[in-house]
Amino acid sequence: MILLVELVTLREAITYSCILSFLAVGITLLYKTTKVPNFAHAALATLGAYVTYSLTSLLGINPYLSLPVSFLIGGLVALCLFFLVLEPMRRAKASVTMLMIATLAFDIVASGAINAYADYLQTTFKISARNVSLIRMDFQIASLPGVFLTSITLIAMTVILLYLLLNRTYLGISLRASMENQILAETIGINTTFTLMLSWFIAGGLAGLGGTLLPVWTQIDTGVGMVFIASMFCASTLGGLGEIYGAFLGGFLLGFAELLGTVILSKTLGTWVIPYRPVIPLIILSVTLLVSPRGLAGILVRRRSK
Amino acid sequence: MITESIFFLFVLDLLAFFSIYSILNLSLNVQYGFTGVPNFGLVFCVAGGAFTVGFLSTRLAAWIFSIDISGLNIIDDNLIIVSKINAVIASQPFYGILLLIVVLVFAAVVGAMLGTLFSLPAVRLREDYLGITFLAFGEILNVIGIAYRDLVGGPPGVNVPDVWAWASGWRFAASTLTIVFIAALIFAYSEYLIRTPFGRVLRAVRDNEVAAAAFGKDVARYRLAAIIIGSMIASITGALYALYSACVTPTFVRFHWTFLPWLMVLLGGVGNNLGVVMGTAVFYTIYKLIIYYKFALAGVVPFDVVWLNYILIGIAVILVLIFRPQGLIPEKPKKMEQT
Repeated sequence: MILLVELVTLREAITYSCILSFLAVGITLLYKTTKVPNFAHAALATLGAYVTYSLTSLLGINPYLSLPVSFLIGGLVALCLFFLVLEPMRRAKASVTMLMIATLAFDIVASGAINAYADYLQTTFKISARNVSLIRMDFQIASLPGVFLTSITLIAMTVILLYLLLNRTYLGISLRASMENQILAETIGINTTFTLMLSWFIAGGLAGLGGTLLPVWTQIDTGVGMVFIASMFCASTLGGLGEIYGAFLGGFLLGFAELLGTVILSKTLGTWVIPYRPVIPLIILSVTLLVSPRGLAGILVRRRSK
Repeated sequence: MITESIFFLFVLDLLAFFSIYSILNLSLNVQYGFTGVPNFGLVFCVAGGAFTVGFLSTRLAAWIFSIDISGLNIIDDNLIIVSKINAVIASQPFYGILLLIVVLVFAAVVGAMLGTLFSLPAVRLREDYLGITFLAFGEILNVIGIAYRDLVGGPPGVNVPDVWAWASGWRFAASTLTIVFIAALIFAYSEYLIRTPFGRVLRAVRDNEVAAAAFGKDVARYRLAAIIIGSMIASITGALYALYSACVTPTFVRFHWTFLPWLMVLLGGVGNNLGVVMGTAVFYTIYKLIIYYKFALAGVVPFDVVWLNYILIGIAVILVLIFRPQGLIPEKPKKMEQT
């Protein structure tokens, strides 16, 4: 048996899967609470990436020190989207399609603002802001890159904290209650607007975290989040749009399928397949929707009920 | 005299793009306005139509006009081949018109296939799944256009035969008139479509899926039909755009080919063809003037003015959605024959 992938590829796949999971879990969480696929999620990731890039290159700090800032800014921008755009529309009983187009509009605004900001960085501070990377700022432990270790640690922490929040705290339990049945949750005195705000803050923050890892892992551009938009929605759908922990599973499966699949195919068919990598999530998304629209969770639940 | 001709060209260009966008917006109106299908991937079929032109028109023209291209590479020697074809079209208008029609038919067929391909996985599911699939597929053809050089020549793109080469000095007038004519045809078609029994089922699917299903209508099939019709029209839009600009590059972005159409349809009135065309006219004129005069702002703000465009247009959509979701001219209830 020939070893088709090197350990380096495996490491890259794990890092990529972690980043995808951070984004996918936010999409799933928002879909569950607000019933809308948030198309502005890619912009939140790009925002996180640029927060880290500016803090690191302007203040010269370690990129990982910007993690809390990215989380906060990502969360606050997501709250803005919810509060200024979606909440007034929801109150006016807008349809899901209207809400989707609103998140797309927010994405356009955000990407315009990020691009303007990148220009501003270039003209005012004379630092390049497009096609840049912070890989050289990354630390190494036992010849393992820091981004690999950090992303694994962060993803483990996120799963544990999310589990504790959702199962062990009153806040998390009321969040879950309002996910399952908003009206019923309101009748027992849960402030559902507050729980919705909480879910948007967490989802935006996690997207910011995923974004922070991007410049340390790869090259970023003002459209870096948009490159992954198909992948993150595919990961979320694969895990089952209604299953929070499914998003982690989906993120890892898709991350591995995308990176390892490209490497294996390029070794067997030739390097010409590499540019076609973005087709992989589309194929997986199509197959998922055709076979089991509720994702892997749907398959597992069906087994359980039999 | 010179300013006059610049003004003339500006108006012609405005008219051409107004018509191109009207066609695309009518396509979105058939899908979203009539049937309620949230197509966030219009750009997919537009790129499909344009790539059909980029791939086929040169090869087809060389074959139909029996131009000797032995020893020439269709991509590398693109300019030489295209100028040979243009010379033939310049002397024989019939060939130009023939090529135009043949290429548009091919684009429509490709559009129908692409529309089926990207909606089939989700057409039986809820609208949000459809929206996700459409958005995910959206810009994928650019990736293929860049990677597969034979399609449209990779990143630099290819030149396309000028099917209006016979009009020489009046080329822009001739092309604009053709596009306006096709836009009028498609407007008439969608007005006809909405009055047929088929169109009434589409609106029933939009307004109450369950009721439509209860009356024995296969909701998914009607949705698919609307998507295929819309995709064919979107593909024709892409083809016309490619023929008009006489070149194709794999740079079809979501902003121009999905987001702006959504804005114009929302502005004009969802489900109302006339409203959509008027929304297009109002928005596109303002948009074109902003582009024309944006240099006035350059230097005032510390970034490229084009991003200001993004921000303002995004905010405009959000404001329309919050304050006037029914558009400027809402859909009127259609008169029914009384029995």
